Amino acid sequence: MNPKSNPFAHQSSGARLAESAAFGLFRGATYFILLCATMIFGVIVVKGSGTVFKASPPFVNWTFLTASPETLYVFEFEGKKMELGDKAFREFKAARGLDEIEAESYAHSAGGIWPCITGTFWLVIGSMGIALFIGVSSAIFLSEYSQQGRMVELIRLAILNLAGVPSIVFGLFGLGLFVHFMPVVAGFDDPSTPSFPIGFGHWLNFSGWGICLASGWFTLAFMALPVVIAASEESLKAVPRGFREGSLALGATKWQAIRTNVLPYALPGMLTSSILGIARVAGETAPILFTAAYVMRDSAPGGGLLDFLGQGVMALPYHIYVISSKIPQNEFTERVQYGTALVFLGLVTAIAMTSILLRIRMRNRYRW
Amino acid sequence: MPATYPDSAQLKGRDRKISEALLNKKRFRVLGLTPDDVIKYFFQGNAAVAILVLVLIMVFLLREGAGFFGQNLRNLRIYRLAGLEYVDFIKREVEAHTELTRAANALRMRQFDAYLKEGKTIEEANEALAQYDLFATAFGDTVNEVRSIASDMTEAAVAIKEKEQIYRDTLEQKAMLLRAGRSAEAEAVVASSVDFKSEVEALKAMQPAFLAANVEFASKIKAALALGGREPLQAPYMGPFNQLKKHAETYLNSFASVEAQMARWTNDQPIPWYESVTAFLFGREWLTASFWQDWYGVIPLFVGSLLVSAIALAIAVPLGVAGAIYVSEIASAAEKGIIKPYIEFISAIPSVVLGFFGVAVLGQCLRAVSQTPWLSWFPGFPMSERLNSLTAGCLLAFMAIPTIFSLAEDALNNVPRHFKEASYALGATRFQTIVRILMPASLSGIISAILLGFGRVIGETMVVLLCAGNRIAIPDFTQGIGAFFQPVHTMTGIIAQEMGEVVPGSIHYRALFMVGIVLFIIALGVNFLAQRIVKRYRISIG
Repeated sequence: MNPKSNPFAHQSSGARLAESAAFGLFRGATYFILLCATMIFGVIVVKGSGTVFKASPPFVNWTFLTASPETLYVFEFEGKKMELGDKAFREFKAARGLDEIEAESYAHSAGGIWPCITGTFWLVIGSMGIALFIGVSSAIFLSEYSQQGRMVELIRLAILNLAGVPSIVFGLFGLGLFVHFMPVVAGFDDPSTPSFPIGFGHWLNFSGWGICLASGWFTLAFMALPVVIAASEESLKAVPRGFREGSLALGATKWQAIRTNVLPYALPGMLTSSILGIARVAGETAPILFTAAYVMRDSAPGGGLLDFLGQGVMALPYHIYVISSKIPQNEFTERVQYGTALVFLGLVTAIAMTSILLRIRMRNRYRW
Repeated sequence: MPATYPDSAQLKGRDRKISEALLNKKRFRVLGLTPDDVIKYFFQGNAAVAILVLVLIMVFLLREGAGFFGQNLRNLRIYRLAGLEYVDFIKREVEAHTELTRAANALRMRQFDAYLKEGKTIEEANEALAQYDLFATAFGDTVNEVRSIASDMTEAAVAIKEKEQIYRDTLEQKAMLLRAGRSAEAEAVVASSVDFKSEVEALKAMQPAFLAANVEFASKIKAALALGGREPLQAPYMGPFNQLKKHAETYLNSFASVEAQMARWTNDQPIPWYESVTAFLFGREWLTASFWQDWYGVIPLFVGSLLVSAIALAIAVPLGVAGAIYVSEIASAAEKGIIKPYIEFISAIPSVVLGFFGVAVLGQCLRAVSQTPWLSWFPGFPMSERLNSLTAGCLLAFMAIPTIFSLAEDALNNVPRHFKEASYALGATRFQTIVRILMPASLSGIISAILLGFGRVIGETMVVLLCAGNRIAIPDFTQGIGAFFQPVHTMTGIIAQEMGEVVPGSIHYRALFMVGIVLFIIALGVNFLAQRIVKRYRISIG
C-alpha cells in the first residue's frame, strides 16, 4: 500500500515537532538531575575511598575507622617531609630528645572517626526508639481507634505542621526545653533556677539537662515523629478490614483484634518504612548542634545509665561540619574530609537503601 | 386456662439480663475503665504528643525570645541617652567620605591595570596617573580633622555608656547580696546613677569645634576636586570619574542637613515601645558584639534567606516539574522504575554532605567557570567570592528537587484517567494533552509542591551555613544579576553560627530566638498556604 494513502500513518506537523522537542527537554531535565546526583556521589566516593580503603589487604583502612581524631603535624625532618598524628609526633620528639620541631598543625586531620561513628549510633538508636514508640502508638490510635472529630483533626493538623518545622527550630526548641529547662534531681537547692524539694534531702532543679545524649534523643525523636507516624499509618491501612472484622466477630475485644490480627501484619511494614526516618535523623546536624554534639571527645560515653545519658557525644554530621568549615582546605586535610563524608554518606544511603528494598519485598510478600 | 405470659416488666428484666450476659461481661475495672479503655487512652495520649510538641515549641520559643523586646528597647534608649546617636551623625558623614575615597582608589586601580595591559611599565603607569594621584591623595586627606573629632566624641560617648553599664552591674550585685541575706554588705555597695543630661552636655560642647572643622572640610574637598585637572584618566574611565565628582558634590550638599540634624537633636526625646519591634522587623543592620552599638535587624538575614531560596527555586522548579512530567507521562515503565527511586534517594543525602561538597568542589567550579574570559560579558562575572548565594542556591535546589518532584508527580497521577482519554479522543497530541489538560488539572498540587519545596529550602541550615559566604549585609541589588553572586547570611545560618557563643539570657541569645520565631512563623505560613491551595482548588472528580 502506498504509505501516502494510509490515513492513520503518523503525519509530521508543527504540533508533533513541538511535542518531540518538548519531550526532549523533559528527558534532558530528568537526566540532568540524575547526572548531578551521580556526580556528587562520584566525587565523594572517588576521593573518599583513598582514605577509607587501601590497595593492600585487608583493603579497609581500619585505623581511620577505629581511631580517635587527632591533630596532624606536617614538618620537615632531616630533609624528609613527615606527617604525624599528635601522639606519634610527641613520641617522635621524645625519642630524639627534641623539645620543639617547627611544624604546621591541622586539627582533626589525623587519626580516625571512631567516636563520631559510635556517637551517631547512640543518637540514632535512642531517638528512633522514642520516635518508634510514640509514632507507632499514635498511628494505632489514628487508624484503629479514632473517629472523625475535633481531636483527631487537631492531631492530624499538628503532625502536618510538625513535618514542616525547620530543623534548626527543633534545635532551638531542644535548647530551650531540654538543655536549659528540664528538671534534674540534685542533692542541693539551686538558687539560680526554680526548684522544688522532693524530700530525702533532694531537690528538683529546673536547670536543664545540659548538652547531652538525652537532650539530643528527644529533639531528634520529635523531629522524626511525623515521618514515623505517616509510615506506620500507611502500613496499618494496608491490612484489610476483613481481618479486624473476622476477629471481632469471634468475640475478641478491640485490642485483641489489633494485637493478634492487625499488628503482626503491619509491624514489618511500619519498621521498614520508619527506617527512612532513621536516615533523616542520622543525617541531621542542625538539631544536635546545641543539644548533643561535642566538637571533640576522646572516649566513648560510659558509666551508669544516668551518667551515660548526661554526656554529649561526637557525631558524624557535626564532625563533617567542623572539619569542612573550621580547618583550611588543602591536601593534608582533604583526606579526612572526604573520608568522613564517604563513611557518612555510605551509612545513610545504606540505611535508606535497606528501607526502599525491604519495602519493595514487603509489597510482594503480602497480597490481599 | 389462659396462658400465662410474662408481663412486660418481667420480659424487659430478662432481656436485659440476656443482653448483659452477651455484651457486658463482668470485667475488671480501674477507675471505671476497662483494660480496653485504658489501652485506647494510652494510644490517644501518644497521638496527642504531636500537639503537645507543637505547643511546646511555641511556648519555649516565646519563653526564650519574648524578653528580647524589653532588652532591645533599653538598648535603643541608651543609644539615645548616652549620645551615641548624636555621634553617629558625624560618623556616618566620615563613613560616606571613606566610601568615596574607596571608589576613587578602585578607579585608579582599573586605570592602572589598563595602562599595564597597554604595555606600559609600572613606573610609566604611575607617572601617567600623577595628576589623578594628586587629586586622590588630597581628597583622601580632607577628612582627617573631622575624623579625629569624631573619634574623640566616640570615646566620650562610649565612656558614658560604660558608666551606665557599671551602674547596672553594681545594682545587680547589690540585689544578689540582698537575696543572699548579706544586707550589711549590700548597704556598703553604692550605685550612683548616671546623669545623662549633664554628661551629654559635655559631648555637645564639642559641637562648635566640629562645625568649624566641617566648614574647613567642605572647602578642602572643593579644592581637591579642582586638583583633578581636565582629564586625569583615559577616556573610558572619565565617565566614572565624572560620576564620582557628582557624588562628591551631593555629598557636600548633605553637610547642611547633618548639621541641622545635630542642632535639633536632644537626648531626652522618648523612644516609644514599638520602636523595639520595628527595629527588629525592619532593621537593616545585624551587628553584634560591637564596642559601639549592637543592632538586631532581621532584614539582611531575611533578604539573604529569600535570595538564596529564590535562586534555589528558580533552578529546582523547572527541573523538578519537568522530571515529574517526564516520569509520570512520557517515560517507559523500565525508566520509571529506575528514575523514581533514584530521585527519591537523593532526598536521603544529608545536607551537611552537600554543604561539604559545596565548600570543597562546587564553589571552586562555579568560580572557575565565571573566570573564563569569554564569559566576562555576563554581569557579575567573575565572582569575587567562592562561597556566595549562587553556590548555596544550587545545592539547595538539589535538596528541593526530590520534594517538588514527588509531590508534583503525585498531583499528575491524581488527575482522573478520563480527562486524558477525552483529550486523546479529540485528536490532541500527548504534549497538547499534558500542557492543556494535565497541567491545569494538577496545578493546585504542583503549586503546593513548589510551596513545600520553598518551605524545605528556607528552613535548611547546614548548606547555607557552609556555602552562602556568611557576610551579614543586604546584597547590592543595584548591580542587577551581580547581586546573585554576592555572599549573604541567612536566618537559619545565623542561629547555627552564633548560638554556640552567646550567653543564655543575654539580648543576643534572645534575638536569635526571635529569628527562630520568624522562621517558625514562615514555615507554618507556607504549610498553611499549601494545604489551603490543595483543598480549595482541587478539581472535582465526577
